[in-house]
Amino acid sequence: MNKNSNLYIVLYSVVMVVIVAVLLSVTALSLQPRQKSNELDEKKTAILKSLGKVDEKGNAAVEYDKYVNAYAVDAKGNVIDGIGQDAVLEMLFDLKGAIANGTFPVFESVDGQYVFPVTGNGLWDVIWGYVALENNLNVVAGVVLDHKGETPGLGAEIATKKHQEQYKGKEIFKGDKFVSIELVKGGAKEPLYQVDAITGGTKTSDGVSEMLKTGLENYLPFINAKRAAAVSACQECAKECSGDCNSCLCGCESVTEDVAPAEEGAIQENTESNE
Amino acid sequence: MSNKNISYLTGPLNANNPVVVQILGICSALAVTVKLKPAIVMGLSVMVVTAFANLVMSLLRKSVPMRIRIIVQLVVIATLVILVDQFLKAYVYDVSKQLSVYVGLIITNCIIMGRVEAFALGNKPWASFLDGIGNGFGYGLILVIVAFFRELFGSGQLLGYQVVPLSWYAADGGFYYNNGLMLFPPMALIIVGVIIWIHRSYNKNLQEK
Repeated sequence: MNKNSNLYIVLYSVVMVVIVAVLLSVTALSLQPRQKSNELDEKKTAILKSLGKVDEKGNAAVEYDKYVNAYAVDAKGNVIDGIGQDAVLEMLFDLKGAIANGTFPVFESVDGQYVFPVTGNGLWDVIWGYVALENNLNVVAGVVLDHKGETPGLGAEIATKKHQEQYKGKEIFKGDKFVSIELVKGGAKEPLYQVDAITGGTKTSDGVSEMLKTGLENYLPFINAKRAAAVSACQECAKECSGDCNSCLCGCESVTEDVAPAEEGAIQENTESNE
Repeated sequence: MSNKNISYLTGPLNANNPVVVQILGICSALAVTVKLKPAIVMGLSVMVVTAFANLVMSLLRKSVPMRIRIIVQLVVIATLVILVDQFLKAYVYDVSKQLSVYVGLIITNCIIMGRVEAFALGNKPWASFLDGIGNGFGYGLILVIVAFFRELFGSGQLLGYQVVPLSWYAADGGFYYNNGLMLFPPMALIIVGVIIWIHRSYNKNLQEK
């Protein structure tokens, strides 16, 4: 057959395209379960990392089940019944969609810390992260950030340990006002609420600030309810252990030793109210 | 392995380097050389794709209609890249995360199509395969050299490890600042230019009269 005839060219293209299509679909479909489980493990690892439970890739799946309880809350901060653990994890694959539907996944650790997934836009593509708060829902226990396609050496630095270490111990509330955490250029002026932005990665840094703000705002009703519950539990405990309220948030720390039995009771009460 | 075959492998490392002599693949050399690690991963991936694209196109060379050969080449290259990407995602997820956006860049890398056009369409499969390996390696070599300087002077690190002592930095009372310009693409172009300059001053036969 003449190699330059139209018929040959058409046949050649058709055969080539069919072969390629079959090859690619078979590979994609047969590898999909593996890829999905890799992604799931990565998300579980990120949640544990934000809680400070693992440094490098451990056996995330096992550890995760031991430490973390997942559920979803609605826009008013009430827990939605009937959403299983796996279904909550599934939301992370389309977090923007889940948020648009008014469902917000929450991950609570056995120690009473909370992890809130957040998502936003960097310079080139989506960025996402996990913000872990201590059980007073103010102090940051850890932050894990990741991105799809930020520039290496610039915006991509948000995914490094060096950058993420900065968030530990920051606070998201200034008094009673929600301030989130901001990334600022040239050194943080308010060290409790700000971290250093990435040099040369201004747009990505702005994206992270925006993501933390809007992301955590989604959970504000939930956070405020938990905080109010913690404060009222604390006031009760403050009566019992005659300390002031602030020292009580984590359970009557400033109590004198001679009322030790009362302190124990107060701690139990406090943890119960957090559940 | 005959001398000729060996020359397919070693030629692109020096006298026929794809980046500094053929001036191919410059765009990706600017994009992925901020850090050493992505540069190495990119070099290896391009090497694999060039080798197999050359091999496949060389096998098909007698049947491909000349009028649509560019389209056929693109399909073969894109298929290979997607296959590699899928397997990386399933079996070495960490590496695939490293690659992320560069997978797309591999498809558009002019070295691959350049070698298929210039070599694979006119040579036997084994020679084409070696030519692909050689050119991929020659490309990776330049990438690594550029990335070495950019990461060292731009971030004070190599492969993510701190090389410049932290106590040298002005922030900790020292005298040293990272060179921010190193982190931006123009600096890669300047480094590539310097490499070409040095390379030509050693290879007199490459100098244009």
